[in-house]
Amino acid sequence: MFKSYRKAAVLFGGILLLIALAGCSGNGTNSTSADQAVQDAASAKTVTMSWPRDIGTMNPHTYNPSQLFAQSMIYDPLVSYGKDGKLEPALAESWDISKDGKTYTFKLRPNVKFSDGSDLNAEVVKKNFDAVLKHRDTHGWLGVVKLIEDTEVVDDLTFRLKLTESYYPVLQDLALVRPFRFLGEAGFPDNGDTAEGVKKSVGTGPWMLDEYKQDEYATFKRNPNYWGTPPAIDKVVVKIIPDAETRVAAFEKGDLDLIYGEGMMSLDAFKQLQADDKYVSKLSDPVGTRNLLLNSSNPKLADIRVRTALHQGFNKKAMVEGITSGLEEPADTILSKNFPYTNVDLKPVVYDVAKAQALLDEAGWKMPAGGTVREKDGQPLEFELIFDKTDPIQKAMGETLQAEWMPLGVKVNLTGLELTVQIKRLKANDFDLYFWTNYGAPYDPHSFVNVVANPGFGISETLSAIPMKAELDDKIHQVLSSTDEGKRQELYRSILETLQDQSAIVPISYLKRTAVYQPKITELLFPGNRDENPFVGIKTQTP
Amino acid sequence: MIVYIAKRMIAIIPILFVATLVTFALVHISPVDPAEAYLTAAHIYPTPEVLEQKRKEFGLDRPLHVQYLDTLKRMVQLDFGTSYLTNKPVWDEVKSKLPATLELAVWSILFSALVSIPLGVASAVYRNSWIDWLSRGISYFGASIPQFWLGYLLIFFFSVKLDLLPVEGRGDWQNVILPTLTLSVVLIAVYTRMLRTSVLEQLQESYVEYAKARGLRERSITLKHVLKIAIAPLITGMGMSMGKLLTGTIIVEQVFSWPGFGRYFVEAIFNRDIPVIQCYIFFAACLFVICNLVVDLIQTAIDPRILVKGRSNP
Repeated sequence: MFKSYRKAAVLFGGILLLIALAGCSGNGTNSTSADQAVQDAASAKTVTMSWPRDIGTMNPHTYNPSQLFAQSMIYDPLVSYGKDGKLEPALAESWDISKDGKTYTFKLRPNVKFSDGSDLNAEVVKKNFDAVLKHRDTHGWLGVVKLIEDTEVVDDLTFRLKLTESYYPVLQDLALVRPFRFLGEAGFPDNGDTAEGVKKSVGTGPWMLDEYKQDEYATFKRNPNYWGTPPAIDKVVVKIIPDAETRVAAFEKGDLDLIYGEGMMSLDAFKQLQADDKYVSKLSDPVGTRNLLLNSSNPKLADIRVRTALHQGFNKKAMVEGITSGLEEPADTILSKNFPYTNVDLKPVVYDVAKAQALLDEAGWKMPAGGTVREKDGQPLEFELIFDKTDPIQKAMGETLQAEWMPLGVKVNLTGLELTVQIKRLKANDFDLYFWTNYGAPYDPHSFVNVVANPGFGISETLSAIPMKAELDDKIHQVLSSTDEGKRQELYRSILETLQDQSAIVPISYLKRTAVYQPKITELLFPGNRDENPFVGIKTQTP
Repeated sequence: MIVYIAKRMIAIIPILFVATLVTFALVHISPVDPAEAYLTAAHIYPTPEVLEQKRKEFGLDRPLHVQYLDTLKRMVQLDFGTSYLTNKPVWDEVKSKLPATLELAVWSILFSALVSIPLGVASAVYRNSWIDWLSRGISYFGASIPQFWLGYLLIFFFSVKLDLLPVEGRGDWQNVILPTLTLSVVLIAVYTRMLRTSVLEQLQESYVEYAKARGLRERSITLKHVLKIAIAPLITGMGMSMGKLLTGTIIVEQVFSWPGFGRYFVEAIFNRDIPVIQCYIFFAACLFVICNLVVDLIQTAIDPRILVKGRSNP
């Protein structure tokens, strides 16, 4: 009996060892691929970048877990979003918009081939549109999806889109990385429903997926059939590194050529790499704005004098520069000027504590004798600021605001929440003060004004008690359906002026994308579209 | 023996039932709607229509008991459904992540056993000598250092400064070294102290005196007689550690970009990927029970008195 148990124990030990060895031997093939990837990375025309999550399924028509930057490497749009929001021809060489703004006719670029050699024509464009429109609910967040009435093949290279009503941001919506990008015929599943998956990632973009190991790495090589100027580099290796500190260590070791994106490293790490002469660091133009919502549906914040006092009562410049070390730029306006229609001069709200105090006095909020918090009708001037507890910048800014407003007699209670809970409270209109970031390029300004007018996102609710809300909503509905460029610009000016004056959305800082790279990269251009990849604009030293 | 194993296997059923029930309850108590979490993670504005559609798609619109019974029925058939996030069958994903976690777990257990058994015995036998102080030092260090920090320190010295080992990823044997070391330091700390205490206890026993009186050599007494009994708590500890390691060494997998089970689970939690969370809990419960069973079998193999005691006192 004893012996047989001992045998069992020995057997178990043996099994453990075998599993370990099998685990390692199983890696034999991986290590070959990984070694290959490392060797390739060493070559001058290969750029190695890291990304926190697996690149996903490379389906152009679906969302998670596919990563936007990778989708944008393989698939092209009809129209692309360039610097400062300029719309440029991509797969569509030109387009024509009917006078009523309801019909869009796209002339496709001739001789464009997919990576498998098949032709891009109006037929396959329609097939892609139809695959997306089969799931209108899923894509319903995108304005154009709800309005498409019909898709039509006019001739081999002409495609027509008919809308139920005029909606000017159609081209901006089509420039997004998803869902309106184009999969080759060979990639479609048999039933044509791409929501169920794609057979292979066949696109017209500059890159093709070459090697892929889930959660470990992906390599992209140049698409030989690419219609545009071919990229200056041959290969892109993407290593999946979820941890920001590990990413920086891999970069310092030389395993990575580039760290790119938003929130890819801590502020300290960025400062450290920026200060190091061995590396090059670069910041993009603003891609979004960090704002503070002052919820006017809270009776205390319904008074514009209180909102303006809060807006004026903190040193924005010192706060932003102190906390973000120059990674973000103090913002005077809700939308930065590099978006379409937002290049308008708005009066900035200047830091002035004395004025802020006077406004609070005028609004009836008095400091009780010996007290530290202003009161009115027995109510203290006290607010709750909710923030994402995993975001160190939000936390530091919350603490700064709390300290800055204290001498004004305003008490702020900070509540750190999990992101999903925070968003839930925003949408339920269950907050006083909230850090909110707009959507950025290419979504704004139309997505921003859309959430200002339509409840359900927390922004319209924030503005619900401002006196001209109905008028503002009306202007927004006009601007989205307007077909007159001049009128549209004028409406945007008026909308942005109203929002600036009301101080219910307080601009804090402009967010920027960061890139830190090895000197091997000689040129890097940030794409205009926040979600696009930077690889077409990268140049490396020639060996 | 077979009856014993069968009994233990049957005992898994109520444990799994409770585990799945608790998981189901916790996921549904959470204030976050999985459909909403999915849309947020996918950068889709959760309009009421999309939310409704997603809830329907995920089956979240059905009454809770129907959802639970359905989940249970499928789990029994090892059908864990499809991940909300990747749209792939959960079981396939788990199977693809397991080898990486298994590899790390087994190497960590083996390495820590290899270090802690001689160190634990030596520090007990040569009590208060330099080796005892060394083992105490290692134990204090290992027990108190946060794992992620140790991981970063190892990366900093061995990868960035000395350029000896890779920073991250799962490639060849070199990639295994740093994560294994990070995991093992804590285990070595615990095992060494455990074994030291256990050996010291056994050295006080009368059978040791008797063996000495019989003229047996000290080394023979320690290795053949004392260690055999003293190692029992260590084996229990290892069994528990194995369960923990197999269910994912979350922090270490994150720091070293190790594509294992733990990382997969953490992502599932953040995205409220309910099928994955349920599969994980189910799997973890099974693993713990099985690890405990294996530990008990090894214990009985080493010390058959356990089985005899069990029979006489059912």
